[in-house]
Amino acid sequence: MLNALSPTSVVASRAFFPPLLAAGFLLLLVVLASLLYGAGPVSASDAFAALMANGTEEAWFVVTELRLPRTTIALVTGLALGLAGALLQSMTRNPLAEPGLLGVSAGSGFAVALAILLGATTTTLTTLVAQLGALTGCALVIAATRVQGLGNDPVRLVLAGATLTGLLLALTSMLMLMDQRAADEIRFWITGSVAGKPLSMLWATLPSITLALVLIAIVARPLAAMALGEKAAVGLGHHPGRIRFLITFTVALLVGSATALAGPLIFVGLVVPFIARAFSGPDIRKTLWLCVPVGPAVVLGADVVSRLIAAPAEMPLGVVTALIGAPVLLAIVRAGRMPSL
Amino acid sequence: MPDKRNALVNTALLGLLMLATIISLATGTVQVSLFDTLRALAGNADPMTDFVINELRLSRVVAGLLSGAALAMAGCLMQTLARNRLATPGIIGIDNAATAFAVASVVGVGLSLAPSAMALAGAAAATAIAFGLAGANGTRGYRFIVAGIGIGAIAGAVTQVMLSRVAIDAANAAYPWTVGSLNARSGQSVLVLGIGLAAGYLVLMSLSRALNTLQFTDAVAIALGTRLKATRMIGLGLSVMLTGLAVSVCGPVGLIALLAPELARALCRPGKVPLTAAALAGASFMLIADLLGRTLFAPLEIPVGIITAIVGSPYLLWILLRPSPRSLT
Repeated sequence: MLNALSPTSVVASRAFFPPLLAAGFLLLLVVLASLLYGAGPVSASDAFAALMANGTEEAWFVVTELRLPRTTIALVTGLALGLAGALLQSMTRNPLAEPGLLGVSAGSGFAVALAILLGATTTTLTTLVAQLGALTGCALVIAATRVQGLGNDPVRLVLAGATLTGLLLALTSMLMLMDQRAADEIRFWITGSVAGKPLSMLWATLPSITLALVLIAIVARPLAAMALGEKAAVGLGHHPGRIRFLITFTVALLVGSATALAGPLIFVGLVVPFIARAFSGPDIRKTLWLCVPVGPAVVLGADVVSRLIAAPAEMPLGVVTALIGAPVLLAIVRAGRMPSL
Repeated sequence: MPDKRNALVNTALLGLLMLATIISLATGTVQVSLFDTLRALAGNADPMTDFVINELRLSRVVAGLLSGAALAMAGCLMQTLARNRLATPGIIGIDNAATAFAVASVVGVGLSLAPSAMALAGAAAATAIAFGLAGANGTRGYRFIVAGIGIGAIAGAVTQVMLSRVAIDAANAAYPWTVGSLNARSGQSVLVLGIGLAAGYLVLMSLSRALNTLQFTDAVAIALGTRLKATRMIGLGLSVMLTGLAVSVCGPVGLIALLAPELARALCRPGKVPLTAAALAGASFMLIADLLGRTLFAPLEIPVGIITAIVGSPYLLWILLRPSPRSLT
């Protein structure tokens, strides 16, 4: 085992597979719940019968045509946001560096709003635009962390991100005032929801998510080395500049895809790595592996809650994630010392 | 103690405010000349002009003036108490919480109190929570601010929930509150704000010496004879009250509480807490931002909160990102 080779590392000997299996099992449960429960009139037992292929026509339709696409989109969104958060936090060494908090999602959302105002309709174009917006946001964040003194000051970075988010939201509101037709479409985007999105959106984002996963497989090892410090990483034969560039690109791909799918969802990229790190310890590779089941479980779980909490109406998913995420933010800050990565 | 430079600054800001007031009154769908505006205010214009100025526009301008002054004073006060220029009510989530409560009152969730009372309750609740979470550090340190960001996010989410649960008419009525606009004001709230602002200003003037000593370290302030705890509590209470009342009139108009005290501090003699100058600057900012929002894209009206966010955010970003962390506190 790897652990035997590193006797000094106490944390690394923490059991890793039990939490991974538990998270996977939890994810299965949430998927089942997502298929069985909804705000509509189809009851859980009807839906179960439909899954067992002897239900009513209506239940079958609701489960396969409404709940299944929604579940899939929530899963992919959660995967993308969780991984993006873990990567960004590891690279900036800042436990609060979350794409939503730092304005990356808002940048993506603003780009989409602008594209809608200018008349964009095709799904592919929207995805591309969302990714471009996210890339710009990411580049800004990286530039900001390179500013002297700011890199070691998580809270100032978050405050800057909150300001940027506020600015972009104000600009988005301006766009919405300009054009009523665009406003209706934009409003559909910016609340953050996985309901009623066509599966074609998913196909449009799939290539970039696949590319991002490949990139993660490439950068995971160098990134773990960078956690030891840039000099150590250089000594181990890695190129920090190149790695940083690749990670920025990967985060932009992931956040852009997630925003295109579900709108700007704040706090997911904070909560998921926070949970994953609690079980994985400081090794970014283990954290990333744990994010794979935890991210989808968190977003899908929040979506199930959003359907049930106000039934028969639905609550926007973004509201639920904010309500879950804000206490986690407080918990991280409240912790006796600011955990450093 | 009369102070030449501060008196000069206050006079200049007062002049700016009067200019902004008169231009605001004169500008709109019906353009009135500045001279006619003054005549209408004095009460001897033709009935048409009199109606436009005194009936239609005056109440809006007064609402903007009072809320701008209240927000700026609250911001200046909280910055002094926290010894951190970033600690303004907007940034630490008090605005958002007050908005959430005011919206609750408008859409009829929970108690049927007036928006002013609900906004006050919201502001007080947010401050109490932020304090509780900040723990032993009090208002100093960044933990307070991050706690505020979290509270602001929760309050924003709650506002959205309420807006999504009620009938569309009620939601539309409450919408201006969520972005900050002078359209949503009720006469009663403006009256309450006016009384609160006047009372708060008097109390603060009588406390000005104690507030000035708060800029030093605790030990120095105590040695100078300041009752630290009492001053802090009164200051914080007034800041919360002013914010809550202002939000009940104009919604969460962000960044006036940051920008106006900045300008006042830059102009006034250092060493004093420039409350009067901040209030005058805040009122002017609010009127100018509202004027811009009304005229830039007329007939489309842009809520004043959006204008202040677009103008103020780059400045705040510049403060945050500039590479000299020492000047932050």
